[in-house]
Amino acid sequence: MPIEIPTLNFIALAPPLIVIGTALLVLLFDLAVTDKRVLGYLGLVGVVIAAGVSIAMGPRPATTFQAMAISDGYALFFNLVFLATAGLSILIAIDYLERHDLQRGEYYALLLFSASGMMLMAAATDLIVVFLGLEIMSVALYILAGFNWRQLASAEAAMKYFILGAFASAFFLYGAALTYGATGTTNLNQIGLWLSGGNSDPMALVGLGLLLAGFAFKVAAVPFQWWTPDVYQGAPTSVTAFMSVGAKGAGFAALIRVLRSGFGDSAYSADWALAAAVLAVLTMTFGNLAALPQKDVKRMLGYSSIAHAGYILVGVAAASESGVRGVLFYLLAYAFMNVGAFAVASALERRGEFSTTQRDYAGLSQREPLLAVAMTVFMLSLTGMPPLVGFWGKLFVFRAAVEAGMSWLAIVGVINSAVSAFYYLGVVVQMYMRAPAEYSPRLVGEESDAKKPAAVNLEVAIGTAVLLAMLLTVVLGLWPGPVASLVTMMPLG
Amino acid sequence: MIPLHWWLIVAAALFCIGLYGVLSRKNAIGVLMGIELMLNAVNVNLVAFWRYITPQVLTGQIFAIFVITVAAAEAAVGLAIIIAAYRRRDTVIVDELDIMRW
Amino acid sequence: MPVDQIVKTVVFVIFTVMTLGGGLGVVVSPRIFHSALFLVLSFAGVVGYYVLLDAGFLAAVQLLIYIGAIAILILFAIMLSRGLMAERQSQSNQQWWIAALVALLIFVVLAAVLWRVDWPVASQQALASPSNAISQEGSQLGRDLLGPYVIPFEVASVLLLVALIGAVILARETES
Repeated sequence: MPIEIPTLNFIALAPPLIVIGTALLVLLFDLAVTDKRVLGYLGLVGVVIAAGVSIAMGPRPATTFQAMAISDGYALFFNLVFLATAGLSILIAIDYLERHDLQRGEYYALLLFSASGMMLMAAATDLIVVFLGLEIMSVALYILAGFNWRQLASAEAAMKYFILGAFASAFFLYGAALTYGATGTTNLNQIGLWLSGGNSDPMALVGLGLLLAGFAFKVAAVPFQWWTPDVYQGAPTSVTAFMSVGAKGAGFAALIRVLRSGFGDSAYSADWALAAAVLAVLTMTFGNLAALPQKDVKRMLGYSSIAHAGYILVGVAAASESGVRGVLFYLLAYAFMNVGAFAVASALERRGEFSTTQRDYAGLSQREPLLAVAMTVFMLSLTGMPPLVGFWGKLFVFRAAVEAGMSWLAIVGVINSAVSAFYYLGVVVQMYMRAPAEYSPRLVGEESDAKKPAAVNLEVAIGTAVLLAMLLTVVLGLWPGPVASLVTMMPLG
Repeated sequence: MIPLHWWLIVAAALFCIGLYGVLSRKNAIGVLMGIELMLNAVNVNLVAFWRYITPQVLTGQIFAIFVITVAAAEAAVGLAIIIAAYRRRDTVIVDELDIMRW
Repeated sequence: MPVDQIVKTVVFVIFTVMTLGGGLGVVVSPRIFHSALFLVLSFAGVVGYYVLLDAGFLAAVQLLIYIGAIAILILFAIMLSRGLMAERQSQSNQQWWIAALVALLIFVVLAAVLWRVDWPVASQQALASPSNAISQEGSQLGRDLLGPYVIPFEVASVLLLVALIGAVILARETES
């Protein structure tokens, strides 16, 4: 029997392939290199190259890889979001792992594999590839969440994340199977063709609902958000920074493509838009209310990331081109401000401790003025204050909702942003209004030398991450034009 | 041939049995077994759809092969995570691993 | 009803008893070790399903991976965890009855919808000759995996690598 060699258009998947290749190189060099920080920088080089290739591919026409994946502007823009997140997280990890004595070469390889899974999810045009990308991302994140083997909390975070993640995957798969049964295909474009051809089938709707449940888990939307605070708090901070943006972004990347390519022209488009709107309201309200009383900053950021999933869902609910553009902009903004906030939190963690409470921030403006300024910028941007980048992200998604005739949704979003100001600004108040002397041991019987405020370990790599994130948050806030026009040039192919 | 509906009902039943296992088991390994049942239900669905709806194209079977691959990978990592947590705490009871509040 | 139809139905019922009965055993058995053995029974029932559905290759894969690898892995994990073997307390949490209600409710809804849908079943002619008729079963799958599905195939290998590395790190780390 003759075997026909398929035509393989590797160019279409060049960025994720570069990242996978870098991960393999990291594994290889891990055998020879004793200073594992070198591996972090090696990973960083791969990330930068992949980002450069993504940008270079931008103006070219989209190419497909055998109807399985596509290199449209949408996927390329998401590549930038994931690569920015991965790059900053690697910078954080280089010092963070060293300080906590957790340095391992595999860390960087797993982080890169996870990023490649995210990129595949954004590029996938077939449910099978979406699923495999999702699993590569998730399995690597399960392991990373449990990477801190000295802490029970980390092992527990890994276990919770794994069990609930695998549970969500089962729902996703059941949804994919029913969609396949109803339409006879797993290809998103063909599903879209079948549904827009006037076909309607209640089974496709059930399938879509189950698919949505699977994605809602990954992006931490209500009612699948319960795992978020525990996992975010228990995982090493460098991992939390990565997954808070990366996993959320990848979930939204695949979710939006499935909704728009697969179910966009169907009789169900009004159904899923309304469902997304309801989820958006519940998600942002829950996230903000739950974040209010939190004392642990990592946990507070965990709840607030639920709220941000809600704001992004507002853009999804708009079900329009401008909604998608808003989501893209929002996620890039979120990458800088949220990873930046986690970078500051990880810089403040003392050796042997794996979280920071509000008290660790007391009087930070006197101890570390630069760090305090950076944290203030991130907190204000997360609240949505102009002229920082977070403001534009919110503006674009809310405006898309208004254009789509969902003004009420935008109003709920604005009210929620106001609520979020309470807990974000609470950190700022701690840094500027409280004296460092107010610091007291958080555990009874804590060693006496711990009573004085901790010396901040601001190493080079973490410092670079904080500075880069802060600069981008401010600069993109003052000049949002270039990114905003980049977003409009990168349609869903 | 056996009607397609029978297969789908059986698969739905298996899925819900697995779901019950996930929701009711205290033991993490028990939860994992529930998840495996759910994945098997999905595969029965996929293969039945292939046989009855697109018998000329192997999509359903291929999807099922990938599901099995992923299930194996998840089981390996999941059991490693569970055993690592167990060794540190001497328990695999989900309820007892609650040093962090919900 | 022709004879082979009756035989098929009887075989289907037997495999269903294995699959669902094994599944129920997994979720209600008071000893976790017994649960794992019931899991093997349930997986074996699914092997039978695949044979009935003319998916011989998948039946072999199911046997090798689900029973040969996953179920055995779970059994090992249970046997390696001291205390789990002997344990004979209730394995269910307090909310088990809520879980049962939820599962039952979802089943009723799913079954009602599934039963009513008019599935686009292929013509009798197409049904009679599935693409992987026994003679060329494996080869068509192999062609598809290295043809249209080459990307998922390669991506799956990355996933297996990730799982391999992860399992090794997680297992090794307690030594340090």
